[in-house]
Amino acid sequence: MTKYIIRRLIGLIPTLFIVVTISFFLIRIAPGGPFDAERRPPEQVMQNIEAKFNLNAPLHMQYLRYMGDIVRGDLGPSFRYQDHDVNFYIANSLPNSLLLGFIALGLALLVGVNAGIISALNQNSWIDYLAMAIAIIGITVPLFVIGPVLMYFFALRWDLLPTSGWITGRYGWITILMPAITLAMQPFATIARLSRASMLEMLRSDFIRTAQSKGLRDSVIIRRHVLKGSLLPVVSYVGPAFASIVTGSVVVEQIFRVPGLGRFFVQSALNRDYTLIMGTVIVYSVILVLMNFIVDIIYSFLDPRITYK
Amino acid sequence: MSTNENKKENRLQTGLQATNEFNQPLKGNSLYKDAWRRLKRNKMAIAGLIVVALYSLIAVLAPVLPIYSYKEQQMSHIHLPPTFSETAGEQMLERKIIELTTLAAKDGRVEWTEEDQRLIEQTIEEARERYKDPSSAGGEELTRKEKDAIADAERSVRRARRDIAVEEGRVSLNEEEKAELEAIRRQIASETEVIDGKEVKVHERRYLFGTDYLGRDMLARTIWGGQMSIAIGLIGGITSVLLGLFFGAIAGYVGGKTDYIIMRIVDIMYSMPYMMLVIILMALFGRSIILMFLALSLVSWLTVARVVRGQIISLKNSEYVEAARSMGASSTRIIFRHLVPNTFGIIIVYTTLRIPVFIQMEAFLSFLGLGISAPYASWGSLIGDAVEGMRAYPWRLFFPAIAMTVFLFAMNFLGDGLRDAFDPQSKNKL
Repeated sequence: MTKYIIRRLIGLIPTLFIVVTISFFLIRIAPGGPFDAERRPPEQVMQNIEAKFNLNAPLHMQYLRYMGDIVRGDLGPSFRYQDHDVNFYIANSLPNSLLLGFIALGLALLVGVNAGIISALNQNSWIDYLAMAIAIIGITVPLFVIGPVLMYFFALRWDLLPTSGWITGRYGWITILMPAITLAMQPFATIARLSRASMLEMLRSDFIRTAQSKGLRDSVIIRRHVLKGSLLPVVSYVGPAFASIVTGSVVVEQIFRVPGLGRFFVQSALNRDYTLIMGTVIVYSVILVLMNFIVDIIYSFLDPRITYK
Repeated sequence: MSTNENKKENRLQTGLQATNEFNQPLKGNSLYKDAWRRLKRNKMAIAGLIVVALYSLIAVLAPVLPIYSYKEQQMSHIHLPPTFSETAGEQMLERKIIELTTLAAKDGRVEWTEEDQRLIEQTIEEARERYKDPSSAGGEELTRKEKDAIADAERSVRRARRDIAVEEGRVSLNEEEKAELEAIRRQIASETEVIDGKEVKVHERRYLFGTDYLGRDMLARTIWGGQMSIAIGLIGGITSVLLGLFFGAIAGYVGGKTDYIIMRIVDIMYSMPYMMLVIILMALFGRSIILMFLALSLVSWLTVARVVRGQIISLKNSEYVEAARSMGASSTRIIFRHLVPNTFGIIIVYTTLRIPVFIQMEAFLSFLGLGISAPYASWGSLIGDAVEGMRAYPWRLFFPAIAMTVFLFAMNFLGDGLRDAFDPQSKNKL
């Protein structure tokens, strides 16, 4: 088992390597540089700046040097923000993004699984229709519509929630509510539909009929037999769900002004802040790949049909 | 091949037709007839189909519809709210009147009614009672604190009554302001503009969806934005399905090493944060529609490739293909006569399901300011532009958002219905 985990962990390296390499060269071949300005400073100054940021070396040397740096955990100095290096900005903003992301994921899982179970147990009742209607909204309506509409009604119209802010500010934890719900809608919808479908399939299966014929109580059958099997597809969806939350957070952080990593993402690319873009890309990729890996490991623990080869 | 044709000829010559045991003629049911019959029973899918058809019609007819230009800026029509009954000129005049009377009222030129006077005096009286400091009881002199509290109360009641007076038009304007209004009235009545060689009275327009921050008609922008979004969805959907079909079919039919390599590439791309790469690509290389297509198509063929590959593999080993092979059919004939027609269903279904995904991805990029650029619009860019000022100008957010949401709903219902119709035993419902 340990061997399997270690081999899977090593298997993550090529993916990360490809992402980092593609991004590095994409960024370098893009037109425009980090120090382009209306008025170009004297040649000597430019040379000094380029030397300082190691931009005067040949491209492959820059690449090798950068790879060496990130292996040692140093993401380099920011080209645009002079005060701190990239590690500092990421260390400051990543916790906020992670907090928001995990709360959204938890919300989606908790509400989604429960909605799916209740819907499946009360198939074709009003509660089933209601849950599935909300799920269709969650799947269809993009989050950059859900976010502003929530904000318009709950914050601007009815004045129930603050428009923006972050938990450390004046309003406290309530500020996380709207961004988390906006982010959670799409994965919630998919999880609710997934768990409902697999639960229904499970309820019709032979071994459940056997359990019923043995005279087991319904509650025992559901808890012991149905739930376990029907949650497997949900577990395998957690990886993609997290990916959609990470992507969505770029927009949600912008709408609700969350001081997270997302705000650097687009801005640093527009600024040609080479190291900061690379830093955010690397952090996002590592998070996504690690999350997929953890989900896979959990899945293989839960599903006895999978062998660790 | 020849045996088949012989059979057909025999049938034609003898006039024989296939019959069932009751001697009734048998009619062959094609995949499409079958699917259409099933689709017709699905009310939501049919409603979706109608909505999609309507949207497509409007999008195609956008150049000839009697709507104003989507890029023409009317600086005097900035941020007019949506209206059915009023012309732009009337709205402009109203806005100016409110602006001028508010200023005049602040200047103190309110015509107070008796009710106003009574309410103000009453409030002052009440404030005098309420804020009376018990410690200084008896003294005629009011303390400073008391005076401030009473003045505050008076000020707020005066402000409230003043707002009512402005609303009811009980404010006297001076000559200068009246002249200003008169000038606007004349401008509205007489001003014309030459647009496309025709003289147009611009102030007689009616903006059903309101206008945006440059005085552009939101109805026209929503329609043209819809055209852009639908076109992007359609072209993107077809491109990604064709790419997926190509690679999936090769992987499935050839098998072996080719299959392995293609599917590993798909796996690796799946595990990459590709939307992130697309965002970076757009931010770095500037906003161009072609680049956006390329970037989005590159990442969106993966699912289709997997599904097509699975389908081809299962079809390849199916009994009727084996039967065809045993009768000596060539590889080309098997591919084009048996495998390709049987994947058409999937192609139709996935194209319909990819279109809303593509529209959403484009809108996502446009929302971040990385997609369609001015003066063109898409639903995503309209929504993105509207978020900043949505407190004061909510119509700029709601019309494109509603238009887009309705279309996405319709596409999804249609796609789900088509999938159920073509593949009733579908396991991949999500």
